[in-house]
Amino acid sequence: MKHLKPINQKAGRIEAQAVREKMDAEMDVVGLESRPEGPHIPLGCSLVFAPGWEVDSTGGTAGLCQPVERDLFDCHLACFWPAHVPDQLNHSPDWTSQCASAQKDWRKLDLVFP
Amino acid sequence: MNHGASRKSALAAAGLAIGAVAIVAARAAPAVPGMPASPLPASAAPVQAAADDDGYPIDHEIIIRRCQRCHERDDEGRMTRISYERKTPEGWQTSVRRMVALNDVSLGPDEAREVVRYLSNRQGLAPGELEPGRFEVERRLIEHVYEADRDVENTCIQCHSMGRVITQRRTREEWELLMATHRGLYPLVDFQGFQRGGDGPQPVDEAIDHLSETFPLETPEWSAWSASMRAPRLAGTWALAGFEPGKGRIFGTVEISAGDAPDEFRSQASYTYAESGERVSRGGQSIVYTGYQWRGRSNPGGADELREVMTVDRGWQRMTGRWFSGAYDEFGPDVTLTRAGGGPVVSGVHPPAVRAGSSSAEVRVHGVGLPANPDPAEFDFGPGVRVESAAGGDGSRVTLRVSVDEGAAVGGRDLFVGGVSLADAIQVHDGVDRLEVTPRAGMARIGGGAFPKGYQAYDAIGWDDGPDGEPNTEDDLRLGRVPVTWSMEEYTATFDDDDIRYVGALGPDGIFTPAIDGPNADRAGNRNNVGDVWVVATHEGGLRARAHLIVTVPLYLKFDPWQGVPAGRLVP
Repeated sequence: MKHLKPINQKAGRIEAQAVREKMDAEMDVVGLESRPEGPHIPLGCSLVFAPGWEVDSTGGTAGLCQPVERDLFDCHLACFWPAHVPDQLNHSPDWTSQCASAQKDWRKLDLVFP
Repeated sequence: MNHGASRKSALAAAGLAIGAVAIVAARAAPAVPGMPASPLPASAAPVQAAADDDGYPIDHEIIIRRCQRCHERDDEGRMTRISYERKTPEGWQTSVRRMVALNDVSLGPDEAREVVRYLSNRQGLAPGELEPGRFEVERRLIEHVYEADRDVENTCIQCHSMGRVITQRRTREEWELLMATHRGLYPLVDFQGFQRGGDGPQPVDEAIDHLSETFPLETPEWSAWSASMRAPRLAGTWALAGFEPGKGRIFGTVEISAGDAPDEFRSQASYTYAESGERVSRGGQSIVYTGYQWRGRSNPGGADELREVMTVDRGWQRMTGRWFSGAYDEFGPDVTLTRAGGGPVVSGVHPPAVRAGSSSAEVRVHGVGLPANPDPAEFDFGPGVRVESAAGGDGSRVTLRVSVDEGAAVGGRDLFVGGVSLADAIQVHDGVDRLEVTPRAGMARIGGGAFPKGYQAYDAIGWDDGPDGEPNTEDDLRLGRVPVTWSMEEYTATFDDDDIRYVGALGPDGIFTPAIDGPNADRAGNRNNVGDVWVVATHEGGLRARAHLIVTVPLYLKFDPWQGVPAGRLVP
């Protein structure tokens, strides 16, 4: 970046970020924990769909469908996350019966034990 | 047909089965009149199901009576589907629960326990077969890689852990039917992982090929194990050693006594956290399935209830596993139980490391049957370590004062005392060179509003670089937990990331408590309080280490059989 100057705000943020990361790295002694190599996907996490449930394809949460309540009805109706959200087809046909809008009434959703 | 009514009765029946959750978790079933006893006998009377060419005959009265309506029984006693698979107790319990929830099976809790016990004993897994999948039953949040076939793994883990798959054995036809069941219950699986389109074999076909070859119904391991299988005789005193993330090492004893059946036990555990001195006492009961799979529950009904999942070794001398609790099974120690015969047992030494040049450092030897009036000369830690004094107690510990020569060689020391020994009982080091935060990648789940919180505990482990002075080499010494101050830093996934303000709090003990669930109006786009952060440990002198923490959304569905059921859900 020595011979380049950011000409807009986004480029400025990129430069600032690069400086921050360099400082972070210098603070850590060699051999300490560093950024995990590649995405870390904890056991049982579903990620392969886009986005994943617990993590996105990079192993983080930035790409998740947010807030999750916005998507719950669809997940429920379409049985899209069978191990994460109760499915309407078989196990839990009435799961959302008390909720007109998941984003508003999400507290009424019950945790389901099949 | 009135669908509403039928759904209701199915739910009520599901409630009944859910009431039977202790199936695997050791709530001993009272004898049911007219029911053939299915506990594993203590000896003789082989329970090996005489496997026919394929399929195991089933002669349990309840299974025949309750399941025959759908699962036809042939002349040799084999029932469709049931006879052609082997699973863990958890696996059988999941099947029973599904049958009750979806197929209107009427089964009382005691009957359900009998069914699970019978099938786990007759059609279970041999110890060697379970070993690669122990993380599944021990509920460990690990990063698992199924090396044998990454494509098949990719097909399965789209929805669930590979542990569910590798803890089953089936005939080829059964694996095919299992895939068909997936498609019947979850029609989207074809788009999600089973099919990729185009000509040629699809992922689901490849999975069937691989699984039926790798995990067949009949194996030499199972025929060998089932021929010798019996209820283990575990009564007696056991030395307990363990490690609980966030709290450190534990030492104590477990007194095991016989229960109502040869494969049932009662246990009384008492142990101490080595760092804090906190004492814990727990009473529990358990069932040992398939001759080696301990499933117990201690302090049942209490806030401190723990599930116990352990594996008994072949010689009945050791048990290893995990005791756990929490909405996502995230709390609890890893444990090792060692049978204490007549002589002393040394479980461990705390602290696990002493610095070269230390004088009169206090070191405690934990175990069972240790001398009440110990002679310091009897404790031999090898070159460079001198034991100056020794004070006994109730036999569970001896407190030593040790001095370590300034020039003592850096490395592990074996302890010999009273005819017993402990390898690498203590590490002699020359200072903490670096830190490691475990786990490297943790996960917590927001909760506390409508759904329970999922916590994450961290430990800071100190390392000595060893004689070569190079980090991450074979001669490095692990020094155990070291005192640190905990903090969080932003993990930059997006520009101007603000996750750290919302995800929750990291306590002084390294235990992360996530923030509340639900949309957060203060965040852009009403995001939940999810995010990625670094968990940072700082030791004296500014030594730092960090680990990645994912704070993510709740699970809205739990298949885990032991999860409690909110009051009011089970009213028929």
